[in-house]
Amino acid sequence: MKKLISILLVALLSCAFVFANGGSEATSGPVTNADGTVTIELWYGAAITEAGPIPDDWIGYDILREEHGIDLRLSVLPSNESDQDVRIQAAAAGNSLPDLFMVSRPVLTRLVDQGLVAPVDDYYQLMPNRTAQQYDADSIAMTTIDGHSYGFASPGSVAKNEGLLIRKDWLDNLGLEVPTNLDELMDVMRAFTYDDPDGNGKNDTWGYGAYVESDATLKGYPGARLFPILGAFGVDGLWCFEEENLGLNVYKPAFYDAMVYIRQMCTEGVMDPNWLTYKKDDFRAAWKQGKFGIMKEQNAAYAAEANYAPFDANFPDGEWIVIDPPTGPEGYASVGAYDQNYRIYAMSQDAADEGKAEKICELLEWMSSDEGYFLCGWGQEGVNYVLDDNGVPVSGDLGDNAFSGPDGQVYTQLRNMVFYNSDTELASRYPTYTTAVSGKTMSALTTLREMQSKYWTPAIGSGQMPTPNADVQRYYEQSLAEFLSGQRALTPENWQAFLDQFNAIGGAAWNQQGIDYARENGLVR
Amino acid sequence: MAETAKVKKQKVHLKPQMQNKAVRPTRADRIFQICVDVFMVVMLIIILVPLWSTVTLSFRPNTYIGSYLEGMFLPPWDWSIDAYKALLGNNGFLMAFSNSIKILIGGVICALILTIPLAYVMSVKSLPGRKALTTIVLIPYIFDVGMIPAYLLVQNIGLMNHLAAVFLPGAISTYNVIIMRQFFDGIPGELKESARIDGCSEVQILMRIVMPLSKAIVMTIGLYYGVSFWNNFFNAMLYIQDSNLNPLPILLRNILMAAGMNEYVEVSAFGNAPIEAIKAASVFMSAIPMVIAYPFIQKYFTKGTMVGAVKG
Repeated sequence: MKKLISILLVALLSCAFVFANGGSEATSGPVTNADGTVTIELWYGAAITEAGPIPDDWIGYDILREEHGIDLRLSVLPSNESDQDVRIQAAAAGNSLPDLFMVSRPVLTRLVDQGLVAPVDDYYQLMPNRTAQQYDADSIAMTTIDGHSYGFASPGSVAKNEGLLIRKDWLDNLGLEVPTNLDELMDVMRAFTYDDPDGNGKNDTWGYGAYVESDATLKGYPGARLFPILGAFGVDGLWCFEEENLGLNVYKPAFYDAMVYIRQMCTEGVMDPNWLTYKKDDFRAAWKQGKFGIMKEQNAAYAAEANYAPFDANFPDGEWIVIDPPTGPEGYASVGAYDQNYRIYAMSQDAADEGKAEKICELLEWMSSDEGYFLCGWGQEGVNYVLDDNGVPVSGDLGDNAFSGPDGQVYTQLRNMVFYNSDTELASRYPTYTTAVSGKTMSALTTLREMQSKYWTPAIGSGQMPTPNADVQRYYEQSLAEFLSGQRALTPENWQAFLDQFNAIGGAAWNQQGIDYARENGLVR
Repeated sequence: MAETAKVKKQKVHLKPQMQNKAVRPTRADRIFQICVDVFMVVMLIIILVPLWSTVTLSFRPNTYIGSYLEGMFLPPWDWSIDAYKALLGNNGFLMAFSNSIKILIGGVICALILTIPLAYVMSVKSLPGRKALTTIVLIPYIFDVGMIPAYLLVQNIGLMNHLAAVFLPGAISTYNVIIMRQFFDGIPGELKESARIDGCSEVQILMRIVMPLSKAIVMTIGLYYGVSFWNNFFNAMLYIQDSNLNPLPILLRNILMAAGMNEYVEVSAFGNAPIEAIKAASVFMSAIPMVIAYPFIQKYFTKGTMVGAVKG
């Protein structure tokens, strides 16, 4: 019996070996197809993930095939970044990475170590138009590893697109002025909480609304929704990149002061008590239901037509205005820390070895030409969009086929590969509209420009900074949550005890690692 | 005759005792029954509250003002079907639903075709090397093969971008094979023996004797497989690159992710329908097939599977 088992096991292992070694053959193929075209397989991040893929009848396929000799094969990556990472890494393990693919920076670093991604330093010059539009020094630095650029990093979401908003109608109802410093802010929050600002006779409002939006790179804890408060103490953002205070902000004495202020907001009851348990959607539902009068919100999440509509219906007389961040005791004021994020597209080493690099550059350059830019961004003129008097693509009367309609939107799935936050894009993306109930004229673009005009703390490079291990991060977040919720008394002694323990379990090493990284990569201001 | 009379007498003698016991439960019985009832009610609430919450959320109008709890008691005349209209009007949803149905049907058939013979073979006590076969079947149950080897296997046998890639790697579940083998073990050997004497081959015994007696286990295991294939997200995410082949779990994930992201953009595949309602509606819609199928299969779970098998 033992012999039989041994034989079967050997047979099974042999099968596994045979299967495991068959991969490379299966993925190899001719560089040039019979019709003279070069196949380029592209794994991209869809612009509208819940909509379908680009249809087979997309005119872009024909243009690329006939005018550029490119047979483009598209595949949509999963919507979630961690799922994308799994897909890319599985393909890498199977030696079947596509020719061009979107990838997160941490995974890119691993793929570079494995020799699976081609350096692209020499290819920027083959795409003069696209490079001028999308790839500046910061972008190239984002993909530079060991002195070489290993991918094309296009601008992601618009920077500095959030602002501190206050209910102007509540201020007017109570005869208050816009707060300019932390003391005034506290007074207004008290009034919003206890003086019935909406006049409904109920004690059902709070001064400030937030939720915990934290991370271990830019936002830290308690996160971006409290940045204007932290900014008043000069400690917004997880890291400080100023030479004299380089390192984690949590070590600054002012961070403790900021914590005391936020704790005071909680103990005085002027902060929406659900803020520690709210998720993003709960928070957004709450302000649309008139639960609080001051918040930090994103421009489109606040002012885009679909997002503003519920608030407009619920409170036709309601009005939010963007205000300056409050000034703190040392004169600091900031809406928050900001980073520039990118979408990285890397070229596989196999594609470069097969001589596809130049065709890939040709594809990308075409995408940034007038033809490709509008085709990928909005679809076909007259079918999916029309140009208004200012040359901005708009939906017009195109109905479902419009680039924003259910049938037309699938033709714009590649738009994140061509958009670079130009004025045309933003004007098209955030059109001016009239609200359905109150008849107000609104524009998320106007709101964006107003938000961008406020002071923000630069934290460029935060996204690249080293992250702590899970235990350190958990301890850091949990401890701060305990201080803010009152589970642990916020006293100087307890704070010092927290910092000592934080250092002991790895916080000091993380801080030093970050300082070294910032210095080595020129992130210090 | 005398024996029959004795049996009748016994029956007459026993019946009142049993009736007594039935109508007069002891105090301990009553307390136990109350505990069981309370436990079942608590369990029912635990199950029903999230379900009801999801259903009411899916019907919540965009203009709703109130707490989450109040929303659960929103009267039906205030409900809105915007989310369902948006979802059912979305081509991607219908395509994904159809793919999931194909995976479900193909997967269950394929899994049963592979599982039943293996379980039957393992139940044949006279099979040479039966223990070795059982050991081999158990190895992947104890030691998971891992993602990368599975990916390589699927890639090398050319299954990438096929719906079969979603169910074929999981078409034989060791756990299900063992359950089924246990069931087959319980079928009286005399039945198979008499079939052999009548000239049946093993395949004929399986098809004509064993299978008709195994409807309950086949339905049960089929349901297990069905649920796992219907909910399978990971295989589809890994092996399906053509978006037209994405099943419902992938779309559901995209909707749940995108509903958050769309706060930032002007275009949503679902127009102006309330985001939370769309999330809830998509969750509810994706659960409907299983909810419909379960009552029809449930009876097989509790049925006495061997009753009458050896009669005659």
